[in-house]
Amino acid sequence: MDRELLKQCVSFHGASLFQKLQSEQIENPDFQAVAVDLSKAIQERKTDWNSTSGLVEQFIARKADLLFSRSWRVPNSQRPEYEEEETTEPYGRLPPLELFMEVPYEERRAMLYRDLEKGDVVLGRINNVREYGFFLTLLGTAAGMKRDIEDLDVSALCHIREIPSSGSHDDPLSYYQIGDFIRAGVKDIDRYQEKITVSLHQAVLCPGLEHVKLGVIAKEDLPTHYSQSSLVANDSTLTYERLLGGSHGSQNPCVVDYLLQKVGISDTQPPSLMRGLQSKLFDEDDFATSIRKKQSAMWALKSVRLGVDHFKNERHVEAMNEFNKALDIDNNNVEALVARGALYANKGSLVKAISDFELALETCPDHRNARKYLSQTLVERGRQLEEQEKLVTAEGLYRKSLSLDETNSEAQDALNRITLMIQKSIRLREEAMAKEKEQEEAKNSQTTSADKLRKILKDEKRLKKKRKRSTSSSSSSSSSKSSSSSSSSGSHRRSRKKKKKKKHRASKRQRRISSKESCRSDKHGEQEDGKEVEWDAPPIISGTFLNQREGPGFAARDVFAKDRTRSLSREVEAKQKLGNSWKDNNGNGRKSDFSRKDFETDASHISTSSADSHSRRSSFPNDSRKLANRDTSRRSSMESGKYERRNTEEASSSNAKGDDDTRSEGPKKELPTNLLDIFSQIEQFKKEKGVRPSK
Amino acid sequence: MGALLQHGSPVSTTVDFVLELTMASSSVRSAPERAADPSKDVKTHFRVCRFIMEAGVKLGMRSVPVATACTLYHRFCARVDIHAYEPFLVATSCIYLAGKVEEQHLRTRDIINVSHRYFRSGSTPLDCDQDFWDLRDSVVQCELLILRQLNFHVSFEHPHKFLLHYLLSVHALLNRHAWARSPVAETSWALLRDCYHGDMCIRHAPQHLAIAAVYLALHSYGVELPRGDKEWWQVLSSDVTRDHIDAVISDLLQLYDLEAKCI
Repeated sequence: MDRELLKQCVSFHGASLFQKLQSEQIENPDFQAVAVDLSKAIQERKTDWNSTSGLVEQFIARKADLLFSRSWRVPNSQRPEYEEEETTEPYGRLPPLELFMEVPYEERRAMLYRDLEKGDVVLGRINNVREYGFFLTLLGTAAGMKRDIEDLDVSALCHIREIPSSGSHDDPLSYYQIGDFIRAGVKDIDRYQEKITVSLHQAVLCPGLEHVKLGVIAKEDLPTHYSQSSLVANDSTLTYERLLGGSHGSQNPCVVDYLLQKVGISDTQPPSLMRGLQSKLFDEDDFATSIRKKQSAMWALKSVRLGVDHFKNERHVEAMNEFNKALDIDNNNVEALVARGALYANKGSLVKAISDFELALETCPDHRNARKYLSQTLVERGRQLEEQEKLVTAEGLYRKSLSLDETNSEAQDALNRITLMIQKSIRLREEAMAKEKEQEEAKNSQTTSADKLRKILKDEKRLKKKRKRSTSSSSSSSSSKSSSSSSSSGSHRRSRKKKKKKKHRASKRQRRISSKESCRSDKHGEQEDGKEVEWDAPPIISGTFLNQREGPGFAARDVFAKDRTRSLSREVEAKQKLGNSWKDNNGNGRKSDFSRKDFETDASHISTSSADSHSRRSSFPNDSRKLANRDTSRRSSMESGKYERRNTEEASSSNAKGDDDTRSEGPKKELPTNLLDIFSQIEQFKKEKGVRPSK
Repeated sequence: MGALLQHGSPVSTTVDFVLELTMASSSVRSAPERAADPSKDVKTHFRVCRFIMEAGVKLGMRSVPVATACTLYHRFCARVDIHAYEPFLVATSCIYLAGKVEEQHLRTRDIINVSHRYFRSGSTPLDCDQDFWDLRDSVVQCELLILRQLNFHVSFEHPHKFLLHYLLSVHALLNRHAWARSPVAETSWALLRDCYHGDMCIRHAPQHLAIAAVYLALHSYGVELPRGDKEWWQVLSSDVTRDHIDAVISDLLQLYDLEAKCI
């Protein structure tokens, strides 16, 4: 029994209550322990005697064991809460009661000093600013405690060191003016001398209120009860009742639940002073949910029995219906799940069967039938997976099956068999990987020399570029960007490069050049005739070009760093890059369409030309056909990539950024006979685009 | 119970079954004897309301729907002669109806399960057979009967909302330690819930009930409130007087005494 509480009660009611308590609670050992103290505490009765007092005392005496038991009080956190002033109130907010009661000035003042504590939040208005701080007239309280204190002339001091520095070196007090509304935390109260010190530091607030912002606030931030107080003070017809009835929050249908939570009373285990309704008397089994569960299980079992009967008599459809019905009634009914799982397994839907069994085992892990059936089904499933070559998964299933039912010999056999198979396949794979590694190393040793060569070429190119850069003008940024993007993709391609042999590179390059020409001619000509015409020119002129390129010489020349061929190829590649970049600008859709056509025409042309070509070029049609088979998107990226590949071969990839166009303009002076076809291509460009000025 | 047929409702044989159920409970006399003993009636009502409150807890009903169910029962009894009906069936239907009115819908199956177990404690749940469906039908039919008797006025203003607001206001008046020390909130809530055992809920205004509950709770713990020109309870409601409060308190205390005699 709560001693303090009893004392408070007895001293309130006086000796008569004590006597009644003694007579009623005579069997209560807790009371006897406290009784001695109580007898000393009896004083004059504090309350008036009226007609019901005797009954009330009788009531208190009888129910004392309930009223004063320590478990009666719901453990509620003592920390005050700060409520944000929401526009939608969940309940009716009303001014402090003392306002309506018209409690006298002195008493209210005394109440305030008695009840205000360190860490509370107060609201005030600045009435005076001195060099050591400012003075507030307190208007109201803001957390939990709602008091009407505006007219009490309570003032508080906020010392300058209690104002958090704003970082700048200005005087913090300059920020505050007379008349500002301030929200502050109480730092200290001297009840005897009636002095209150406040602070604007967040640290002074008690734990529950840390999030409250202290400092200057606007008039709108003052709590509603404050504004209501002023209304009520002026208008005496506004009673508590009217305000409550009119408030928005009191019409909230959930107001009771919300406030119950706020006050801290539980509605699921409600308190009662009736002896028969004490919560400890209620049996868990009598509650609705628990009865329902048992009942559902009962009802489902009926359906399950019917279903099993159907199952035994081969009426699978009806059996499934019954099982489903049972599971509708009771979702996790173990028997129904096991039976349905068996039916699924019989039918062959092993996955569904497995999931049903597992669900059943979750609820009842010791169900013998479930384990047995699941073990068998897992073995079946494992066999299925074996056929699908998913050996590892199958092995897992066999293991699981064994863990469920150790006596399952089939599972054991299957497990042994499959572990052997897995080991074998691992061995094979390891051998294959070892072989691959050897090949890789061989290739790597080959390509390292190629890397070195490339480096040398790159350096030489860089030198040349520096010379050219000074003489040329910059081209449009978009083309350079596209070329740079293609060069970046080219760097990816570079790694692929290492694996390919030089002759492939050479053949690809040649094919690219010819396809580029055809591409361009297709695009810009857009007619068969145009194509024909354009194609006529190159063979005559570039026939020599092609013948020159025929044979390993071209590739060899490039790779083995002859200046002329290098610059030539660079030029060509630059032009093609230009064409490529133009293409990019024109849009990929068109490009891809054309590229597809290009490849096909390419293939035909190449096949014709390859008839009298070098044996090496016999790879052309294969490659081109391969290319034709690939999808268009890849082709367009391939195209840009191809040119990059060409670049990398000649070890000039990254240098291409921004320099291609310059390069295109520069080396024209230096190049020999094969310039002719290049010029013709430029003419075509100019015809179509009309952007590039003619030289 | 053929008596029910007089009122034109087709409840008939199902009510016999319900009557059989209730034979297991304490002394509810069967219909034909018309006892004019009001105290017996009061005891009957007390027992029935006790049944409603217990079922409410077991069904997980909130306080307000339970209050609605009890109010429905008391209002129904005020309008008709309860001897013509089976009170526990009426109570079951009141629970069902209150769930609908207060938006905490309860399944008939759950209500029947809980009631069945209340009368036959420790029994196995009912099977899904003809008896079960009959019971269900009788609950639904009785609900319609209640609605008709009450002229379909089934939503009431309860004291709970007022009580909670009053508690907040009084809390603000008190020193926080005094409030924390005395469990005024729990006690007043318990008092308010308990008052539904009797028909005081229809004889007094909800505000008066709430004020009386707070008053009694404060009084029981000896908590003193400041005094102004007006008492705190005068402020909370404009028309409440000391007499009102006293009347409510005495009614409530009588109920507690009744408990010892009935159960």
